[in-house]
Amino acid sequence: MDLIDFSQIRSLQDLDLLEKELDSKEVECDLRIKDLLSNRGDLEFQLRSLSKKLSNLKPVEAESQHFAEVIKSTALLAEDVSAKVRLLDKAKNRVSECQQRVNDLLDLQQCSEGVATAMQNEDYEQAAAHVHRFLTMDETLLKHTARDVSEGRTMDASFHRLHDAENQLKKVVAEKFDEAVKDDDLASVERFFKIFPLLNMHDDGLRRFTNYLSSKLKDSSTKNLNEARLTRETDKRANVIFADTLTLLFEGIARIVEIHQPLIETYYGPGKMLSVMEYFQKECDAQSKLIIEEFRKHRDFNKKVQIVSAYLNQRSENKIDAKEVDSVLNELTLLNARTELYARFVRRRVTSDLDISVTDEGEKATKLKNVDRLLKDGETFRVMQILLGQYILLEQYFMAQSVQKAVELDNLIEASSDDTFVVTSVTDDVFFIVKKCIKRSLVSQSVDGVCAVINNACGILESDFADLLLNQLRQGFPSGYLDLAQAYSVLQSSLQHGKIQGSDIEKNRTQFVAYLNNTDVSMEYIASLKNSLDKSITDAFGNNLSPYEKDKITNCLSGLSSVNIRLKSVSEFGFSQLKSSAVKPRVKPWLDAFFHSQRTSYEMEEDEFQDDSESMQTLISNLDAFFKSFKVCLSPTTHGTFVSMAVTEIALQMEKVLLKVKFNRIGGLQYDKELRTLMGYLTSSTTWSVRDKFARLTQIAILLTLEKVSEVADFWGKGPVAWRLTAQEVRQVLAMRTDFRQEDIRRLKL
Amino acid sequence: MEDYRFLFKVVLVGNAGVGKTCLVRRFTQGLFPPGQGATIGVDFMIKTVDINGEKVKLQIWDTAGQERFRSITQSYYRSAHALILVYDVSSQPSFDCLPDWLREIEEYANAKVLRVLVGNKTDREDREIPTYVGEDFAQRNNMYFMETSAKEADNVEKLFMEIAHALIEQAKAREPVPEYKGNPGQSVTLNHRTPSTTSDSCCSRLL
Repeated sequence: MDLIDFSQIRSLQDLDLLEKELDSKEVECDLRIKDLLSNRGDLEFQLRSLSKKLSNLKPVEAESQHFAEVIKSTALLAEDVSAKVRLLDKAKNRVSECQQRVNDLLDLQQCSEGVATAMQNEDYEQAAAHVHRFLTMDETLLKHTARDVSEGRTMDASFHRLHDAENQLKKVVAEKFDEAVKDDDLASVERFFKIFPLLNMHDDGLRRFTNYLSSKLKDSSTKNLNEARLTRETDKRANVIFADTLTLLFEGIARIVEIHQPLIETYYGPGKMLSVMEYFQKECDAQSKLIIEEFRKHRDFNKKVQIVSAYLNQRSENKIDAKEVDSVLNELTLLNARTELYARFVRRRVTSDLDISVTDEGEKATKLKNVDRLLKDGETFRVMQILLGQYILLEQYFMAQSVQKAVELDNLIEASSDDTFVVTSVTDDVFFIVKKCIKRSLVSQSVDGVCAVINNACGILESDFADLLLNQLRQGFPSGYLDLAQAYSVLQSSLQHGKIQGSDIEKNRTQFVAYLNNTDVSMEYIASLKNSLDKSITDAFGNNLSPYEKDKITNCLSGLSSVNIRLKSVSEFGFSQLKSSAVKPRVKPWLDAFFHSQRTSYEMEEDEFQDDSESMQTLISNLDAFFKSFKVCLSPTTHGTFVSMAVTEIALQMEKVLLKVKFNRIGGLQYDKELRTLMGYLTSSTTWSVRDKFARLTQIAILLTLEKVSEVADFWGKGPVAWRLTAQEVRQVLAMRTDFRQEDIRRLKL
Repeated sequence: MEDYRFLFKVVLVGNAGVGKTCLVRRFTQGLFPPGQGATIGVDFMIKTVDINGEKVKLQIWDTAGQERFRSITQSYYRSAHALILVYDVSSQPSFDCLPDWLREIEEYANAKVLRVLVGNKTDREDREIPTYVGEDFAQRNNMYFMETSAKEADNVEKLFMEIAHALIEQAKAREPVPEYKGNPGQSVTLNHRTPSTTSDSCCSRLL
């Protein structure tokens, strides 16, 4: 408690305050003391029970000390025991090693005795089993042991005998194997083939065995090739006989692998297929080379290639008949297809064998690379790569020659019904040829081959074929009095009578229209060609295409869209020709007549207003006849484009003539009425939007029908009209109204 | 549809073993695969690059140099926008074959194709073709010229980027249409044999 500083007390008030404070403190103290005292009983009770519990703790301490000692001694014991167990274990191992060695020694004895008997009895399996047992023993260790037990001499003798037996057996088995091969005794061949691995002669066994099988392959292939040589030309397979022979070779290898793979896996273990296929590949290379050489000779192939390549390089004018090339092309694709199939077979076999036998990823990768090399650089495949290159060359020649022939034989195909239209035969023919060639390339199963043929096809379409269309269209559409429909019917009838009487103009017109249609049809054909090829590619390759290869083909196919771009520009060129020679010369006089001769003036009285103006009737019937004459001969798309082009031209020409005419309001209303009639007609005859093409003319009509100049303000800059006329042009149009005052027009704020 | 403004086909040709595949690998994957086996037929890779903010897709066709693949290779010339003719600076024979390759190019490729001569393997110490000899050949034949090392990644990126650059310039000069319709396949019409356009020379240097 703080001491009271009496010096601070100066007055009675202070003293009172202090007293009050002290009083309250006293009360507080009393309360605390009471509180503490009330806890006393509780505390004392707790203290008592605590002292009782303390006395109980003593024995616990003693017991835990005892317990710790027990644990310590147990641990010591355990260590002791485990050391002994370890020793025991070691001892046991030694014992079993000892037993093993005793067993080995006993077996050695037995083997060395058994091997002699087995050899004598020509029981080579038994002998090999003995030697195999012996080969699993650790020779130096055994010798060591034998010395310890002073058994050295007998054992050395056994070893000696067994080594001798091993060598002898190796020699005998090899000899016997060769003998069996010589006698063509398959059972014995297989018998001794199984013995090689017992003598640790895996590689030797495989080599000898595949050699034997290869010789069988050689025999049958030689036989097949001889038969192929003698095949009569009338034989159904004569055209593809060498592809058949090659197929037999590959099938022969596949069959041998099919039959012997289980045998090899059982006796030699998995993981041997790479070596086996490498051995077979040597024979395969030799035989396929012979077959291809014979193919080249028999089909006069090298000469064909030489002529074709000289021709394509423009080094010579010599040609061969495309038909002659056609059949050899089929055989070429088959040859390549079989080789691809065989390569896939080899890859699949070896890869699945490696999958189960090699776990190390690095080793597997190396081995897979060897497979790649085998299938890339093997003579069979190299020979085939050369052949594929020559196939592409010949296919290119075939395609070009056939296209050229199609061009030479090009003739007009008249419309045979209302849904058809005049074209020439060249389009169908060219697309047929291109499709045929690309589809044939698919047979080859070679992605590079397919890509190259697609590239070459695109080249022919984009340059040769498109040039042909362009050149024909460049001849132009001759203008003249006769309507096209007339010209066409004249030509038709003259063709029917077997003589061409029609004038050159008529003929040229039909020709032009036919080529315009050709161009349109070609663009459709490009699209359907692409679709059909997409499907054919999927059908031809199935699941054998990697995403990469698929991508590669797709990228080559996209060359077709550049063909389309080119065709489109050809078509545009054709339309520009048509516009300048057919549309412009026609439309212009009609419009001139409409605005000038038939109607003297658009400054008219009310009673002159015609709901159905005669001059517009004439114009429309002229146009209608004009459009119809083209409708019968143009393809629907071409006709659509034609009408659209004509409509644009009409609008353009009309505006030109219109701007030279004078109007009053009635005249304006008359023009407005006529314009609506014209647009109504045009809308009915085309699928394109006429409104847009006539926007300027419609806006001119709005201006020409105004009552007062000031009304322009209601339309200009507000309302729904998006003006296509400039302010300058608005003034110009308003000035065409003879009833508007120039000052009013000038005063307009636009 | 992928987003790109231009699509260019680049075709590499030249003798076997001059390093065409390594150049392409270095550019597209940043790798130099040692012990590269000979290319069979044609390999192709795609790389999209950015040239001044414009996405350019390069479709690179890496052809086999060996004679037996010639007819496959030839089918790619026609639609190429750029042809890279590669020789090995340490191999005189690969340089001596250049005129033959040029003859092929003349015969099969578009007259307007961008032609680039590349001397590869500048990392080799046994160089046989001095730079000026290659340069001179390129100049005489209206070609761009560059020396590269696929192994050391020297000039490889630059080579392809400069080509992309030049092709864009060419495309823009020929076709100054600002209204690009969003159809990437049609943005490039370099390749058309429009008879009216005169062939332009491209003999200026890249470097």
